[in-house]
Amino acid sequence: MKKSQTIKLALLGGASLALAACGDDGPPQDARFFADDKECSAVYGDAPCKDAEAKADEVHLTQAPKYEQREQCEAEFGVGNCETRQTAGGGSFFMPLLMGYMMGNMLNGGNRFSQPVYRGRDGSAVMNNNGRLFNVGAFGGGSGRATSFRPATQVAQVSRGGFGGSAARFGSGGAGG
Amino acid sequence: MQRETVAPRPGWRAHVEQDLGFAFHTIGGEPYWDETACYRFTEKQIDELEDATAELEQMALGLVDRVIATGEEAFERLRIPRNAWDAIAGSWQAQEKNLYGRFDLAYDGVSPPRLLEYNADTPTALFETAVVQWDWLQETAPERDQFNSVHEKLIEAWANFGLQGERLYFSAVRDHGEDNGTTEYLRDTAIQAGLLTDRIAIEDIGWDGREFLDLDGQPIRALFKLYPWEWLAAEEFGAHLLSGVARVIEPAWKMVLSNKAALALLWEMAPGHPNLLAASLDPSGLQGKQVRKPIYSREGANVQVLDGARVIDETPGAYGGEGFVYQAFTEIPSFDGNYTVIGSWVIASQPAGIGIREDATAITRDSSRFVPHYFA
Repeated sequence: MKKSQTIKLALLGGASLALAACGDDGPPQDARFFADDKECSAVYGDAPCKDAEAKADEVHLTQAPKYEQREQCEAEFGVGNCETRQTAGGGSFFMPLLMGYMMGNMLNGGNRFSQPVYRGRDGSAVMNNNGRLFNVGAFGGGSGRATSFRPATQVAQVSRGGFGGSAARFGSGGAGG
Repeated sequence: MQRETVAPRPGWRAHVEQDLGFAFHTIGGEPYWDETACYRFTEKQIDELEDATAELEQMALGLVDRVIATGEEAFERLRIPRNAWDAIAGSWQAQEKNLYGRFDLAYDGVSPPRLLEYNADTPTALFETAVVQWDWLQETAPERDQFNSVHEKLIEAWANFGLQGERLYFSAVRDHGEDNGTTEYLRDTAIQAGLLTDRIAIEDIGWDGREFLDLDGQPIRALFKLYPWEWLAAEEFGAHLLSGVARVIEPAWKMVLSNKAALALLWEMAPGHPNLLAASLDPSGLQGKQVRKPIYSREGANVQVLDGARVIDETPGAYGGEGFVYQAFTEIPSFDGNYTVIGSWVIASQPAGIGIREDATAITRDSSRFVPHYFA
């Protein structure tokens, strides 16, 4: 036999959430990322997804991190990942773009779990759990997958960007071959 | 070795995305993972590929030894920048372990496999080989065998790096789906080997004048990078990395093998070897049709097929600044009009399996399709 006997995946694919869901503030084990209600409906049906999206939207609008300057927002979430909004008083602020939401069908005290997800600066998927940010995975080729849970923390001042220039210079954007 | 047309699994896209986390099966709207066909090998052919791979790896390691013993003159022929020489020699003398590499072979099932090039530093198509084609076979014909223990060998290999207790960071270019998918898969296998891991985009790596830092300000002392050594060495933080402040995988000595001038030095070391094509740094060193490849390049860029001074075929790109290597032309075997190249993997320098890429042209590019295989 020249093939692997068994293959388990710890991070990728379906196994990821079961392994990673351990903190009190992370999503429940059955939570999955959905980019929109269409993706969600295919799994849970129309009505629960409408509810979930409305709940995630509300958390997003009320509890997303807000910044005075676009640069501040993009420093956290990456260039192009922020949008501007108007305040009631006519001013404006910046907040991360909603990319989708984590939803679980597990009912917790009558509430279905549903929280907004943003794209983080390194392509990570950042979940806003009622105002606290968690790295819940990565955006691969369009769909999100949970890979880990950890609280987002502030960054120390150091010089960065000393690697990575050649990839852009040589075209395709990637570095593998 | 035969190409067979087969029916794709119904719903395979959702399956590979959700159950395997394989997000880049389609790239730029074009199919990349292609299960409308597969290749069937005989056991004898697989043995031949495995033996050739083992032998090529031994020759490659022999070349590293020879280059480091020769020193300056050999480094210059390989166009390796001077600032990297000490790091290369140091990592080799310290016997720093290597994880993986992919030999790209021209093979038709009849003639001996011939080395087109060795991607020793940043090979991709690993997850597709290790997991996706394995899963395809398990779902379609589990009684059949496949030359592919890449997954098991990766987990075994990680356990031997001496990194227990150290946090190993996995790094690739930000937002590049294929590179990040490959890197996350490698991290997955490292976790299964019991290593502590994290991930960081190569652009986000910080330097505080003393050590490399992650975005939380934690020191990076062990780094897997899916990013070429020759780029790292030339960039702003390159000197810091070459100073040895962090353990790097692949080790610096892979720079000897990851540039295509090594093809010419391999041929000098073992002229006439049945698994090598004649190669030279001098275009007049070869007879007949030849292929000109940039010493540093990826994804088939800036390759020319030459007949004398006449260019028969070529691909565009931004490479070639360091010069070229010339390799004797060999027909890339074609099956049903598809040009087929076999990527044969070594994990910790042991043959571990193959992945097949097909392209519509004889120069394999990043537009090629990955096609699964089995043997019986």
